[in-house]
Amino acid sequence: MKFSGFRVFAEALKGHTGWRPLWRNPDPKPSYDYLIVGGGGHGLATAYYLAKTFGRSRIAVLEKGWLGSGNVGRNTTIIRSNYLLAGNEPFYEFSMKLWEGLEQELNFNAMVSQRGIINLFHTDAQRDAFRRRGNAMMLAGAGARLLGREELRAMVPFLNYDNARFPIKGGLMQARAGTARHDGVAWGYARGADSHGVDLIQNCEVTGFRLDRGKVRGVETSRGYIAADKVGVAVAGSSSRVMAMAGMRLPIESHVLQAFVTEGLKPTIPGVITFGAGHFYISQSDKGGLVFGGDIDGYNSYAQRGNLPVVEDVVEGGMALMPMIGRARLLRMWGGVVDMSMDGSPIIDRTQIEGLYLNGGWCYGGFKATPASGYAFAHLLATGASHETARAYRIERFARGHVVDERGAGAQPNLH
Amino acid sequence: MSDLRPITALGAALPRLASFGALEIRENGGLALASMALRRGTVEPTPFGLALPGPGRWIAGQGVAALWTGLDQWMIEAEGRAELDFAAELKQLAPGCSVTEQTDGWVAFEIVSRAGTGPIDALLSKLVNVDLADFGPGCATRTGLEHMSCFVIRRSEAHIAVLGARSSAGSLWHALETAAKRLEER
Amino acid sequence: MLITHPLLGLRDAQEFTYLGDARLIDRPAPSAPDAEAAFCDYVFLRDNPAGVHRELWYHEHGDRSWLVVTRDTVTHEVLGAELARNVALARTRCSK
Repeated sequence: MKFSGFRVFAEALKGHTGWRPLWRNPDPKPSYDYLIVGGGGHGLATAYYLAKTFGRSRIAVLEKGWLGSGNVGRNTTIIRSNYLLAGNEPFYEFSMKLWEGLEQELNFNAMVSQRGIINLFHTDAQRDAFRRRGNAMMLAGAGARLLGREELRAMVPFLNYDNARFPIKGGLMQARAGTARHDGVAWGYARGADSHGVDLIQNCEVTGFRLDRGKVRGVETSRGYIAADKVGVAVAGSSSRVMAMAGMRLPIESHVLQAFVTEGLKPTIPGVITFGAGHFYISQSDKGGLVFGGDIDGYNSYAQRGNLPVVEDVVEGGMALMPMIGRARLLRMWGGVVDMSMDGSPIIDRTQIEGLYLNGGWCYGGFKATPASGYAFAHLLATGASHETARAYRIERFARGHVVDERGAGAQPNLH
Repeated sequence: MSDLRPITALGAALPRLASFGALEIRENGGLALASMALRRGTVEPTPFGLALPGPGRWIAGQGVAALWTGLDQWMIEAEGRAELDFAAELKQLAPGCSVTEQTDGWVAFEIVSRAGTGPIDALLSKLVNVDLADFGPGCATRTGLEHMSCFVIRRSEAHIAVLGARSSAGSLWHALETAAKRLEER
Repeated sequence: MLITHPLLGLRDAQEFTYLGDARLIDRPAPSAPDAEAAFCDYVFLRDNPAGVHRELWYHEHGDRSWLVVTRDTVTHEVLGAELARNVALARTRCSK
């Protein structure tokens, strides 16, 4: 089933009776060549690229709930490639390029909208740091622009430029950044994977790994044992729990990150604005809701809900940055469980168990990485080697001291 | 020689004083402070005849008072002795203890109600996460107040003191003043 | 969340900062032959369970004590708290 404007028009004339489900709902087979644990954005993208780009077959995705029921539907939909470090920037820029062609690639409307992101700065030192980051972005082909105060004011006049503690001096802009419809991304990859023969198996929880002499043989699930040559785990938020079943301890803590959306308002915020100094960032959805968030709660949690002190912290940041937000009414707030790693960067690597691979540690920024993460993980599963943009994400980096620490906060996950 | 004149934590020649309805907030510029910590194996002293209080408590004597600040640690207050070397005096009375001068690290605000305990409780409810059912006279605690770390002391039913970092004295006054004004307008 | 401070009773979690897994008390011996690997695990690896978790909290806006708090990471229920110094001292005594 191919989507097109003509198809929508034709279906309208037929009373929309011709639409079919986007994917099959198969029962698990006894064995596969590749099993992907986790039917979220990263797992579905992995299965898609493994089948489509790397030409592999006999692939299944195992999902405990329904497809896209975890963090891919709980994030604030921001896509960007505005990192500093050499280990990160090429990977996120690779992801950005995949985002730019994603809808054509998948023949699916993921509402990718390059409306730009602006990181605000408030001091000369911060301006210098952002200029350096902008240069790193330009070297990676990501593009960046340093905006002065007046230039910024012309674009976003509603900010409080004269806050006593954090007067706004300007911002670093990446015009190619923006937002995407998070569920649509999961659905698009699911449909694409399914059409290339991947079995998407829902309501199928992995309850254990069957290991034999240091090699993975298959997984125990709530729907029976499934044998596999290679198992890729992409369950960020729950990576520690799943890998513990294979006897591994990870450099990861699970934390809760909250997000908020107001009732729909007329278009007011042109892109994404981040106020790092005040622990606040915001964008506006196409439906009109102001979508915003701030810091993680800061303690280990699997609750998918946070506590009020961080709600207060976020809204204080919002009021300090754009006092008009005080007139908006909050519609929903929720929490997602994220893998906070020890250096704030992800892990895409093989493990000590042959045939078992891990994709996790995405902290609060996994959504933007979805395409590149899936591509790089599929590359690793198919070829046995790290993708050229993901070589810094080996798990051994911690033992070797080659951490990828954008924040410079050390092995303290709640500070990244 | 330069003509040096001392200023208060709020930057004026004289301590600030303001009234909001039944509440009076007074900068206490004369309060001397010194911290005292037991060292391993030392006997708990009774400086100035004070029986040192336990967790969450404050006790007053003649012109001096003590509040518990942590395990084996207390802050000793002395009215009107900010200009003197109070820490040295305390050190004489606390043999073997670690005594540190604290006076100029802090700002102290005395808040007194002229209408009983009600306005004090209302003010505390607005500002700090302290269980007022368990915060009668003789209680003292450190807690967060508008993100600033402060000691709150219940000197009597209608009298509390708030001790905060001297460097954020202006912000602390602003927080107290704003809350008191809102109560007055109510 | 309210943390049951062993000396001060129920205190708002906002008064505390969080360090993490209470196993951080168990610092490896620096002179052991496997010290390098042991320190790598100590610094970077965590158990991260869903359920009961023992963790270190620091009473920063309070009495500046370190607590070992037992808390359920699924419900956020605080199940108990003790002074970290007592926990550490008890272990030192055991190992002697």
